[in-house]
Amino acid sequence: MNALHEPLPPGPVNDPVLSMERLLGMANQIGDFFAPYPPARRAEGIRNHLRTYWDPRMREALLAYIDGGGSGLAEHVLQGALLLRDSEPKKGYYGPPKA
Amino acid sequence: MPNPIKPDCSVVTTCAYCGVGCNFKAETHEGRIVRMIPWKDGKANHGHSCIKGRFAFDYYNHPDRIRKPMIRDSIDEVWHEVTWEQAFEFAARRFRRIQTRYGRRAIGAVSSSRCTNEEIFLVQKLARAVFGNNNIDNCARICHSPTQFGLSATVGWGAASQHFDSILQADVIMVVGANPTEGHPVFGSLLKRRVRQGARLIVIDPRQTETVRSPHVAADVHLALRPGTNVAVLDSIAHVVVREKLYNEEFVRARCEWEEFEHWAELVGSDRYAPELIGPQAGLDPEDIRHAARLYASGPNSAIYYGLGVTEHSQGSTGVMCLGNLSLACGMLGREGVGVNPLRGQGNVQGGSCLGSWPHVFSGYRFVTDDEVRGSFEAEWGVTLDAEPGLRLPNMFDAALTGHFRGMFIMGEDPVQSDPNQDHTIAAMREMECVVVQDLFLNETAKYAHVFLPGSSSLEKDGTFTGAERRVNRVRKVVEPLAGLQDWEIVVKLMNAMGYPAHYDHAGQILDEIARLSPAYKGLSFELLDRVGSAQWPVDENAPEGTEVLHRERFPRANGRGTFMLTEYVPTRERATDQHPLLLTTGRILSQYNVGTQTRRTANSRWHSEDVLEVSAEDAAARGIKDGDVVWLSSRFGATQLRARLSRRVNPGTVYTTFHHAETRVNVVTSDLSDWATNCPEYKVTAVEVSLVKPAGVEAAGRGEARHEPAVSTGEPVSGREEAHA
Repeated sequence: MNALHEPLPPGPVNDPVLSMERLLGMANQIGDFFAPYPPARRAEGIRNHLRTYWDPRMREALLAYIDGGGSGLAEHVLQGALLLRDSEPKKGYYGPPKA
Repeated sequence: MPNPIKPDCSVVTTCAYCGVGCNFKAETHEGRIVRMIPWKDGKANHGHSCIKGRFAFDYYNHPDRIRKPMIRDSIDEVWHEVTWEQAFEFAARRFRRIQTRYGRRAIGAVSSSRCTNEEIFLVQKLARAVFGNNNIDNCARICHSPTQFGLSATVGWGAASQHFDSILQADVIMVVGANPTEGHPVFGSLLKRRVRQGARLIVIDPRQTETVRSPHVAADVHLALRPGTNVAVLDSIAHVVVREKLYNEEFVRARCEWEEFEHWAELVGSDRYAPELIGPQAGLDPEDIRHAARLYASGPNSAIYYGLGVTEHSQGSTGVMCLGNLSLACGMLGREGVGVNPLRGQGNVQGGSCLGSWPHVFSGYRFVTDDEVRGSFEAEWGVTLDAEPGLRLPNMFDAALTGHFRGMFIMGEDPVQSDPNQDHTIAAMREMECVVVQDLFLNETAKYAHVFLPGSSSLEKDGTFTGAERRVNRVRKVVEPLAGLQDWEIVVKLMNAMGYPAHYDHAGQILDEIARLSPAYKGLSFELLDRVGSAQWPVDENAPEGTEVLHRERFPRANGRGTFMLTEYVPTRERATDQHPLLLTTGRILSQYNVGTQTRRTANSRWHSEDVLEVSAEDAAARGIKDGDVVWLSSRFGATQLRARLSRRVNPGTVYTTFHHAETRVNVVTSDLSDWATNCPEYKVTAVEVSLVKPAGVEAAGRGEARHEPAVSTGEPVSGREEAHA
């Protein structure tokens, strides 16, 4: 017979939606893919990917981490993520990063 | 002995096993299925079948089937049988309570490729319109999500470009990371037929599969690459195509984005992808890479067929892009005999992909962030929809461990058994306050559920499946649902219990709704399918009875052109080490199907009663392992036991097993790494060690005995109904 499991405490949880370790790993993997593109396209590819595939809480956690210094993130991942803050809305797309 | 049972009724329907989508005439006697006859007019199978579809149907009537809804307050309690209404009310109350406490995004839903298009579509509607978020995913996440990503990026649609019969006009067939003779047997037979007629065959697979060599069929080139080096090898093939100018410049200039081609050619044409450099890394003879490249490019008709050996990697999406790039560069798209074709593992993986069971796209692969598209769904469904992508299945589990995700509706899916890094999945399941499982049997995931809704098998319901060749095929009710409701009816009632007024008189009305909201399915209806048998999407005013070959004149991209993605090879972080010097890869066998929920409950288990570990003679000898010994298979994630089989099919350094039996718990061992773009797990590469359980000379447990103690680490011991049937 298993002991009764104690669930996490109720109420809003302020930690990131996914562990930062997991988010940073995912973000750098995305960065690895876009690395061969020229700098502006590289950053735009990362932006488009994060915007169209990541839950907003994952994006917010990543940006908050970058505000705190962003250590461990590749430089172009950091630049791509910061493009998320541009106010001009862009449609999501498939295919190569737009120049 | 003559068959004493004379059928009194028959219905033509579609097989629910692999993605081939064979039609069968299901014959019944007094309301019970007695025989499945391959249907001669089935456009995918032309009267052929395999031993799963033909014989493994009895699971539907197995004593393990749950026939009453059940609930319990916590997963440590026993189940209580309740009425359908009580179960819906319980689930609805719990889901709403979680949302009140933790927010609307704290729950989500998962659907399955074992379900019909109509059910998959309804589950996304449940998440989006009733839960009010986009936390909706499906099991293609863990198999072919990279196909959607990689093919959408290059050729525009994440789907096979051809119909199966197209292979009969192929001159060169390239099979990558797939074993169609076991996984997709009816298509596998067609492939072998074409090879016997003289087509050349290239196989890229770490293992010497049946496809590589079988009676009268042998591959011209077998690239038995080291697991994890797909992208390096495919880039190296592309290198040869570029450097030797084997590409089809006329096609690329006329049909593709030339500038992107030039960027791609520069990348793959660089010295670092020369076969002489990649060959040693991948364990291949450079000349074999060159031979494969020249064969493929020479055609004149070359066709690519691929499977999970491409997708289930940390660069799975990149691997799919490599195939898209290669076929575009060589002009192998847009006519019969060519193409890029994912072989889908489950009956309705293509449908699952098409019908919006994804956190980021609606049906038809259109982004939830697109105001216009979202507006069309809002108008039809009468509610405001979330404009942000939701959590993917693995991220739902991750978020359960941080307390942000607390409830899940799971239809026809068994993530505890089928998802990687099982201990992590179980820990996440234990954090949830409401898990609703809708399935035929109490599967492994049901151990962590609070509500069990007894589902209906594909033999008990109406709807459609979309096969791997984009063929939409009717699923027809052969017998009455054992628990009283078809799966789509269960979802509708749950929506109603949560306060959303959905209503359909029959499943055909759901397909009508799909047609209104999904351009490629626009012309589909039960009436059409009853008239023409089946139809390959797109079905619309330009193609009222469907489309066999895609991309004939243009690619479904904004400018109509195919394009090239830069596919740099990034080695997986999963490496062989001193502690774990071997690489494990996984696959399937002919007689069994995936995690075995269905086939293990049929006489097919006589052909494959347990999963075994294939080990090369060299690796076995170095560890004192003999054929039939029980061994520990361990990785940095966990360990399990299974029986070793000495095999020439795997090279030294690689071991291989299937994952059909719950007791084997292969996913205790598999890693938490996943595809960069889609989080599709890297099942195909795990660094492992294999060691003898019993010292030499002590006889291993005999076949048919109770299983050895299965696994270490934090997982639940295997117990309950699943084991009772082991």
